[in-house]
Amino acid sequence: MSYEFEKYRAFGPLYRITHWVFAISCVILLFTGYYIYEPWFTTMLEKGVDDFTVANMRFFHFAAGYCFMGAVIARFYLWFFGNRQERITDALPVTKRNIKNFWGAILNYLYVKFHVPRLGHNALAGTTYLVTFLLSMVMIASGFYLLYPESVQVQAWGGAVFGSQQNARFVHFILMFYYIFFAMVHIYIAIWNDVMFGEGLVSAIISGSKFLHIKRPRVD
Amino acid sequence: MADQSENGIGDLRITRRSFIKGCTMAAAALGLSETMIPRLVSAATSPQRPPVVWLHFQECTGCTESLLRASHPDIGRLILDLISLDYHETVMAAAGYQAEENLKNTIEKYDGKYICVVEGAIPTKDGGVYCKIGGRTAMDILAEVAPRSAAVIAIGSCASFGGLQAAAPNPTGAVGVRDLVRGKPIINIPGCPPNPISFLGTVLHYLTWKKLPVTDNLGRPLFAYGRKIHDHCERRAHFDEGRFVEQFGDEGHRQGYCLYKVGCKGPATFSNCPAVRFNDVDQWPVSAGHGCCGCTEPGFWDSMTPFEQRLPEVEVPLGKGTVTSAESVGRTVMGITAGAIGIHAAAGVVRRLAKGTAKKDEIREE
Repeated sequence: MSYEFEKYRAFGPLYRITHWVFAISCVILLFTGYYIYEPWFTTMLEKGVDDFTVANMRFFHFAAGYCFMGAVIARFYLWFFGNRQERITDALPVTKRNIKNFWGAILNYLYVKFHVPRLGHNALAGTTYLVTFLLSMVMIASGFYLLYPESVQVQAWGGAVFGSQQNARFVHFILMFYYIFFAMVHIYIAIWNDVMFGEGLVSAIISGSKFLHIKRPRVD
Repeated sequence: MADQSENGIGDLRITRRSFIKGCTMAAAALGLSETMIPRLVSAATSPQRPPVVWLHFQECTGCTESLLRASHPDIGRLILDLISLDYHETVMAAAGYQAEENLKNTIEKYDGKYICVVEGAIPTKDGGVYCKIGGRTAMDILAEVAPRSAAVIAIGSCASFGGLQAAAPNPTGAVGVRDLVRGKPIINIPGCPPNPISFLGTVLHYLTWKKLPVTDNLGRPLFAYGRKIHDHCERRAHFDEGRFVEQFGDEGHRQGYCLYKVGCKGPATFSNCPAVRFNDVDQWPVSAGHGCCGCTEPGFWDSMTPFEQRLPEVEVPLGKGTVTSAESVGRTVMGITAGAIGIHAAAGVVRRLAKGTAKKDEIREE
């Protein structure tokens, strides 16, 4: 016997593009950002080498940072104007449906009681993405404060929010580990879901379509 | 460069040549054209110069020392000469009641006209009992002197932001002038010690244009604190190329490479140190081979230590001490996450092995 699945449209193109911009820019940002913190490979040769290692790393960091910010802006739009799966109403555990789904997702991940199919993300994932989104704004703000430290306008709000440059650098650095943590858990959970339920979750972020088991009742 | 013997230790007179030289240096620091020098000179020699009251609180007198004991004596003398210093505990001849009498007279005679220079942090805990002069707390003295002045200049990091005294756990509740005085123009000249040129430039600016120079949002004059140390450091090219000192005394250190990896705080610190340098001998910490300590920034000490590491130590909640570096916290989080993922995956595999056959039946039923 086999499962019977039906294909559903889950995620729109803009949503999928923002996902991959996040993914690629985060890899670049983490790599170059850590390099800026601790330049672990260095050029000891003075003559004949004009490779501008650190300057280039910083350039790629800033360029990737702007891409990241663009994706954050697009994601902000989608929180309110995306399709049903992309909206904030599908993520926040404030409605009865989402609260139920939030605890259901925790039990699901603890192997206690497996989930009821849902076209969008479960509410636990949605909440995590919302938290990540807010932390990304902190990351962007601290990044701009570090990038334009001499601008009096940037100093005015940057100083009020973060204090000195050193404090902003500290926040920017510590938050980096949140993104590593997020990437580790996110990739693991996505693969785990695909292995466990065969909904095609991993490919859904490429194709936009998800497969739901038709014999099991859907909640939404 | 004038040396000590040229001017003579006991000779306190200032020559016209060195006076003009000092004004020129201040004009250069302020970023002014040479055509402005005569205006600075006439302002500095005007008989209507405002008197100055110099208050010492919780401090080491290092700021005064850096003014007075510079290898180039002209700047120190120029400052003392061009301002009418009515009260300064370190250099004034009067002592005891006489000294306090001077302070009282100046405040009354020049009410609203004198400049109040503050050196040192002000302790506020327990009614401010941790710093008393003539039986009065620093808080009392500042509350009396500062509101009746024309402007307040906080010299040094302690007077600006609390400095070393305000380092955790800040036992005396030390704060800077800005936290206590309201409604007066306050200018901060932080540094440990600040460059005398920055102070001289601020004073000359005030004497010439009767207003304080433009500042950043921390009250630091932009002409001296408008740019990061990192951005005009002589070792910056090594930073961009990725040539670093890995540890003190290694080959890179001997070659004069960038000190970023041994904890230089230049990228987080605003000051004119690399351009103006100290004591007229073209020296400053980075040229001597140690990274910048970030002494001009608020939170200096807590956010800048350990000096040989990039980021401050991480405080563990509930006062359980500190973790040596921010990075070790991140590594712990990553390790725990990886462990948790491993356990979670293993639990799934174990479950599958244990219920392997049962699960197939379950599926068949559906």
